[in-house]
Amino acid sequence: MIKKRNSFKIFLAVQNALFLRELNMRFSSGRAGMFWTFFEPFFQILVFVLIKLILFSSGQNSFDFAVFLALNFTAYNMFKNIVIKSTASFKANKALFLYKQVKPIDTIIARSMVELFITAIIILIFLTIGFYFNFDMEVKDLTMVTFGFIFLAIFSLAFGLFLAVLNVFVDSISKLINFFMTGLMFSSAVFYSIEHLPLSIQNLLLYNPLAHFLEMIHGSYFYTLDDRYVSYSYITFWTLALLYLGLWFYVKLERRIISL
Amino acid sequence: MIELKNVSKFFRTKHGKKYILKDMTLTLPSEHNIGILGRNGTGKSTIMRMLGQIEFPDKGLITSPKSFSWPLGLSGGFVGNMTGKANVKFVCRLYGKSEKQIQETINFVKEFSELDDYFDMPIKTYSSGMKSRLSFGLSLSFDFDYLLIDETLSVGDAKFRKKSKKALMKKIETCNVLLVSHDMGTLRDICDVGIVVHNGKIRYFEDINSAIDEYVAINKQ
Repeated sequence: MIKKRNSFKIFLAVQNALFLRELNMRFSSGRAGMFWTFFEPFFQILVFVLIKLILFSSGQNSFDFAVFLALNFTAYNMFKNIVIKSTASFKANKALFLYKQVKPIDTIIARSMVELFITAIIILIFLTIGFYFNFDMEVKDLTMVTFGFIFLAIFSLAFGLFLAVLNVFVDSISKLINFFMTGLMFSSAVFYSIEHLPLSIQNLLLYNPLAHFLEMIHGSYFYTLDDRYVSYSYITFWTLALLYLGLWFYVKLERRIISL
Repeated sequence: MIELKNVSKFFRTKHGKKYILKDMTLTLPSEHNIGILGRNGTGKSTIMRMLGQIEFPDKGLITSPKSFSWPLGLSGGFVGNMTGKANVKFVCRLYGKSEKQIQETINFVKEFSELDDYFDMPIKTYSSGMKSRLSFGLSLSFDFDYLLIDETLSVGDAKFRKKSKKALMKKIETCNVLLVSHDMGTLRDICDVGIVVHNGKIRYFEDINSAIDEYVAINKQ
């Protein structure tokens, strides 16, 4: 007899299995992918530091621009990867739904956990390099920065779930998403701070919830910046709305997704 | 015991709904090995998956207090980039086995499937026969109430086929099977009751031989 397990135990067993499987897939699918995962952030920082050096000469900032970029790209990459991985998750894992205990949403949660894990490793790498080369990495409000990352992770998960459900019916979503992400990178205060922009552009960019998240994170990190542009109610609204819509569609469609 | 209550299942096609089951109410008694017969495309595999509760009817309810395996023979649940061993570990973890039990299962599957070196190589290097050997060996190391078997017994070479049939005969002393097959010999050997799927209905036969007779009669129509 198979032991009867309660649903929370089943959930934990499934999460554990999926998490390790997902990691194993990453490591076994060739070195190039793995290398790029960890090298991409450095490449991004390098490119933008060079752009800044060439176009704006250097040194007007009251904070270290490389640290600023490292912080923002870590947050942005976490968002991007959670969303992209979640969007493709149902189709990529449909073979697993023949195990009764694996629900489609489990695969999204497990993939997001893997992204969080990778983000944590990247942060450790950055910290090691930062300490070694004596970068000025002093944090104004560590609690708020941590909270910002967690909040952003929840927002990413909500957005990813929403897109994953849409992706079941609209095939082109997973193809458009990369394009969409590039657009978001330029409009989300990743390599600049909102306060350095003209007012008209500020107002436009502040419709983008991701810009609020990044302002929140670097505003709490640097002494010379603050979170005056962040509307916490606006990003809470976005998170709850996406989560609600995503879960509502998901509950309606779960059975159809299983027999995709 | 598996209960079907007003169960309907259809597929949408260009020519309207194609019914596999239409308003079906039926109780399948426990402690029997059930053979599922029907012509190609009547929905045998879908019905087996519905009985095993990994697919769902469009209307009605299917309930059972029993535990069911995943459908055997489909290698779909394996990851191509991962080794056979890693895939076995994954399934064990899904079912909440402890590390010690996982190690026992790995040893058993490695021995049973006779994959030798291939066991530590990525699944994508396997032939389809090798995949089903792995899948079959793995399923034997779990104690389900029902095993769902979809034509697997006809995969693999003659030697392995004989071995897996012997292992299955031993296994069904402690559990039951739902078997989809077109091989009447296999059905007679393993199953004692049968259901025949035809025209959106399931007919239950208390004797597998009468089920086979009915199936033959349908084929002659």
